[in-house]
Amino acid sequence: MNDGKKGSRRRRSSSLLYQEPPESMEHMSDQSALPNLNANWVNAKGAWAIHVVCIIGLKILFDIIPGVSQETSWTFVNITYMFASYLMFHWVRGVPFEFNAGAYDNLNMWEQIDNGDQYTPAKKFLLSVPIVLFLLSTHYTHYDLTYFTINFLAVLAVVIPKLPFSHRMRVALFSGDPEDR
Amino acid sequence: MDLQYAQHWLNDILNEVSTQFQKVPGSAIFLRYVKSSYQNDPVRSAVELFLVLFAIRYLLSPKYSTQKKSYVTLSDEEIDELVDDWTPEPLVAPQTQFEEAENEKRPIIVGPTGPKSKLSNGRTVTNLASYNFYNLVGNETLKEKAIQVLRTYGVGPCSPPGFYGTQDVHIKTEADIAAHLGAPACIMYAQAFSTISSVIPAFSKRGDIIVADKAVNYAIRKGIQISRSTVRWYEHNDLEDMERVLGKVVREQSKKPLTRRFIVTEGLFENVGDMLDLPKTIELKLKYKFRLILDETWSFGVLGRTGRGITEHQNVDAAEVDMIVGSLAGPLCAGGGFCAGSDEIVEHQRISAAAYTFSAALPAMLATTASEVLSMLESNPEMLTSVRDNIKTMWAQLDPRSDWIYCTSSAENPIMILALKLEVVLGRKLSMADQEQLLQEVVDETLANGVMITRVKSMPRAINATSKDVGWELQPALKVCITSGLSRKEIERAGITIRHAVTKIMTRKR
Repeated sequence: MNDGKKGSRRRRSSSLLYQEPPESMEHMSDQSALPNLNANWVNAKGAWAIHVVCIIGLKILFDIIPGVSQETSWTFVNITYMFASYLMFHWVRGVPFEFNAGAYDNLNMWEQIDNGDQYTPAKKFLLSVPIVLFLLSTHYTHYDLTYFTINFLAVLAVVIPKLPFSHRMRVALFSGDPEDR
Repeated sequence: MDLQYAQHWLNDILNEVSTQFQKVPGSAIFLRYVKSSYQNDPVRSAVELFLVLFAIRYLLSPKYSTQKKSYVTLSDEEIDELVDDWTPEPLVAPQTQFEEAENEKRPIIVGPTGPKSKLSNGRTVTNLASYNFYNLVGNETLKEKAIQVLRTYGVGPCSPPGFYGTQDVHIKTEADIAAHLGAPACIMYAQAFSTISSVIPAFSKRGDIIVADKAVNYAIRKGIQISRSTVRWYEHNDLEDMERVLGKVVREQSKKPLTRRFIVTEGLFENVGDMLDLPKTIELKLKYKFRLILDETWSFGVLGRTGRGITEHQNVDAAEVDMIVGSLAGPLCAGGGFCAGSDEIVEHQRISAAAYTFSAALPAMLATTASEVLSMLESNPEMLTSVRDNIKTMWAQLDPRSDWIYCTSSAENPIMILALKLEVVLGRKLSMADQEQLLQEVVDETLANGVMITRVKSMPRAINATSKDVGWELQPALKVCITSGLSRKEIERAGITIRHAVTKIMTRKR
């Protein structure tokens, strides 16, 4: 029962940025009741290769569309990958399956990976992929300033939320006030 | 001269470095990349270089955990020392004096239970402590029928319903209950207690909101706890307070993403015995857009002309209540529980209600007994009227006539809950423990005069939980269960015995 435990999840100030409050005891025991299948797959076999496969697939897809130049095609690949990974790792919160009684409802997938540990191999790989993809796409767009700006903004959007500093950080504008329970 | 010499030396070194660099495989590609990427734009190159350096720094950083360490690391010696020092507490706390006295005097029934039960000390007493309202315990036809089913189907299915535990009799009983109630569908559980505590978490999850009565029974409390939902309590059976809480929830949640919202309450309250105002509750639930989970454990088979429960009693269509949860164990003398509602609500539970999915199905003989009792109630509503006559007789003996106790139950409830009057409690400054002690003495005194009754016994609260967490304290009370197995005369006599016992205990203490 969640009443009578106020204080642990109360908002501290009305600032734009705030830290997701720590979980209650009950919450943490629910989290550890079962392995988090939603986040554990990033350490599974083939989970790294799939990023490369997807990027190559995207490149082929955009190349076969008639009338798309190499520069535009690379930019599209870049933007699509960044958008999809942002959506998956940083936007959607919780677990799509019902096996933890909603214990991860307040955390996005990046924060669930490796139980919130920083600089783990999976996280290092997942950060390198967008950076390498960005360098590749700026190279093949022949350093046109417009393409460069678009690609750079896209890479920033996925790199900043991956930094240790952004762990459990929320922007009140997008995610609303924290729940008080 | 010195300067020139130094310049010359520097050039030599640079030349050497560049020749060494060109020997490294892939250096040509790297140079080409840097040349083509520079393109007379130092700012952009700097940005790229920064990004690369940042990636390298990230890759080289050591791993660390963001979890707060909640334990102290101990050496092996320290662990051994702690283990040696540890003296285990007993698994069960020693009995209190009150419990010891109660256990010593606890009556033990020998042989079958019934309106007249034989005790282990050889005496035969009037039994008003069993949920045997229609005296179905002694019903020979039911017994014969159950034995027949036992010979055909065996003792139990020994398997969860979703596996191979469902038998034709279960499907028939589910249909019978749904038809009896007038609900679209019904699902049957193997235990009455775990029905509601499994229905609630099947629908309400973390983040969802439950508005519940403060006096709901232990099974509902467990269900709410398992569901991890946010609970808002309202004062017991106070629909104005319910409206206030509902309005508050709606206001608080107006800007948040939509969650499921439920009202959880009982038809006849297990701990207090009073009745819900269902039409008003339905009006509020529709107004504030909540779903209603109604626990009819003590009202199904009791209220209404043919025992359909509070919906029949207060002329409400059963389809208006989202989930009706009832018991087949108490008044129906069978076993198990059920949840009736729309087809979707029932089908959802077949894979997501814990007690249905993980526990063996109801024994076939209990299912057929339940069906049989329902058809008896439908074809023979006099069964109910004879109990109601007995309730009236008992009420006349106790509630208006006694100076000490009053009945908190509704007048239709065969479980009469008798609490000490407020002026008595206040006048004598009785604590909860004092009241329990007095009432236990009344129970003992009544038994000495040949009538067995009992007290309302509360389930233990969660560890460390106090009445403050819930805001409600169970009032100590006597429990008298009326049965149609006794004649009007016998009930009258039993009522007089109880009243006199109360008076005797209360006046002796003065």
